[in-house]
Amino acid sequence: MNPMKLVGPILRAVARNKMRAVLMMAGVTIGIASLTILTSIGESTRRETMKRFKNMLGTFDTVIIRPGSSKNRGMVSLTNVEPSLKFEDAAAIATEVPEIRQLAEVQNALDIDVKYQDRNGTPAIFGVSSNWLELRGDEVAQGQFFSDEDVRSMTRVAILGADTQRQLFPEEDPIGKTIRIGDVPFVVRGVMMARGAGPAGGSLDNLIFIPVTTASKRLFNRDFLTMLIAQLKDPDQGAEAIGHIQTLLRARHHIAVGALDDFNVTNPRAVMAQVTTMGSTIRKLLVVVAFLATAIGGVVIMAVTLIGVSERRKEIGVRRAVGASRNAILAQFLLEAVMLSFAGGMAGIAIGVGGTQIVSRLQHLPFLLESRSVLLATLLSVALGLLFGVYPAWKAARTNPIDALRD
Amino acid sequence: MIQMEKISRSYSRDGVIVTALRDATFQIAGGDFVVIRGSSGSGKSTLLNILGCLDSPSTGTYLLDGADVSHKKDAELSHMRSQKIGFIFQSFNLLPRTTAIENVELPMMYADRRISRTDAAQALARVGLGHREHHFATELSGGEQQRVAIARSLINDPALILADEPTGNLDEKAGADIMEILHQLNAEGRTIILVTHDDAVAAHARRALSIRDGVVTEAQP
Repeated sequence: MNPMKLVGPILRAVARNKMRAVLMMAGVTIGIASLTILTSIGESTRRETMKRFKNMLGTFDTVIIRPGSSKNRGMVSLTNVEPSLKFEDAAAIATEVPEIRQLAEVQNALDIDVKYQDRNGTPAIFGVSSNWLELRGDEVAQGQFFSDEDVRSMTRVAILGADTQRQLFPEEDPIGKTIRIGDVPFVVRGVMMARGAGPAGGSLDNLIFIPVTTASKRLFNRDFLTMLIAQLKDPDQGAEAIGHIQTLLRARHHIAVGALDDFNVTNPRAVMAQVTTMGSTIRKLLVVVAFLATAIGGVVIMAVTLIGVSERRKEIGVRRAVGASRNAILAQFLLEAVMLSFAGGMAGIAIGVGGTQIVSRLQHLPFLLESRSVLLATLLSVALGLLFGVYPAWKAARTNPIDALRD
Repeated sequence: MIQMEKISRSYSRDGVIVTALRDATFQIAGGDFVVIRGSSGSGKSTLLNILGCLDSPSTGTYLLDGADVSHKKDAELSHMRSQKIGFIFQSFNLLPRTTAIENVELPMMYADRRISRTDAAQALARVGLGHREHHFATELSGGEQQRVAIARSLINDPALILADEPTGNLDEKAGADIMEILHQLNAEGRTIILVTHDDAVAAHARRALSIRDGVVTEAQP
């Protein structure tokens, strides 16, 4: 017997008992819908977190060296760090740590007034090396970044972040204009491309870049750094690089064996992994719950099909009398369970896609639907139908046609 | 058509062996019209189930159309039912929530053929129900339901029709109509085996078998 011949009659029978079909499908539909929403939202949350970290850090193939012991995790500035990380340390790392391709020196401060005519603001001031753009992957939207030559000659030039530009020059072309950072005049040479939101959701565009030498000698008058960003030759060598940097800096800073470092080195990739792992543990738990809900949907299918088998004893007897073998009865009941479970799954995916769109809009996440999770939901619904349909189908096939016809 | 050689059938019921059929030996020629008579509990249902390949004998040999079906597997017995046998029941046994024509189509699902709505419509027209194709069983009278059941039993063109009290649930007029249809089928060359204890119905047959305590004997129709 060709099982495809059963499909049409099963569909007709299901259509004539819609309430029962809907009840049977409901569990699987709800389960698959929540699975679809959870996996999609989970994945888009993960990607959004990654994106925000990337907005902040530019690339992940770096290590970040900061003064002070490792507990200091906030936004650093000249006023809240130990003066332990020097320009000479940067030079030593650049030449002596083999995993490092290049290094950017950073000296930054917060809460400094910046003025242009009658407008003012307090953007973060970042004195950085001229290789900042290359190392970070940031781009200039207008004008130019400063050069090596500017760093060497301590030029008073400023590159504005997108928000700062809007604040100080809402209607004016800023290039070539003179602003005052504290009391020191700077000429605006460029405007950065907007970077978007950081991990905490705040803007990363309210800042001004100036040459790190200018910052050190002409603005802040400090000889220590707030941060060093070192780009790795090979992104997988973060751990080795950290080890070498620690050894080198401990020697340079004359730190006794057993004493704590007066600096800390982090690998953004490792921090990132930690953050996403935390999120994914909760997500995994939710997925397990949704999976269980789906499985309960399967149990519902089994229960209703089992009731159906005893209600339909006579039908089974008649089918057997007109030529159905045990296997044909098995195929019929199994196919019915699989078709209902599959239909439930499809409805679940449809609801899940709608739900994902709603949740992404509410959470300001990009809408994302992975073909992998749709495929998985489809397979899962078919598998549930098979798994929970096989026992009732087996019972139906075992029904003695003689007894069934006599009832 | 049918050759039964020392057919016995025993069941174990609550640990007690019950013999429903003892050494039944008889033959039925193709195209015959045979009635089987017996009181309830005589073993006639068991005999009908074995004749219809729904059950297998404990011992003995049953040849149906030359093929030994005494101890075949389920799939082969099902195939036999599908190809050679049409069942008609006392309580019609149409599927609920299923139209007349879909009931007639049912045996085609399990046969080596495609499902043909045209053939089903023709079979219904034959029993005078061409105008009732899309009615559900609950919308049909008893006589109409039984005619749908006959159309269903004919759809795979079986050589043997097994009718178990086909007029038992019908009034006289409807019963007579059904007997008329059975006569026509017999006239076409189909073998009819009819189980009844209605003398009027039994009188239609050319030959009668009587069964009592599991023993089959020849009787007067």
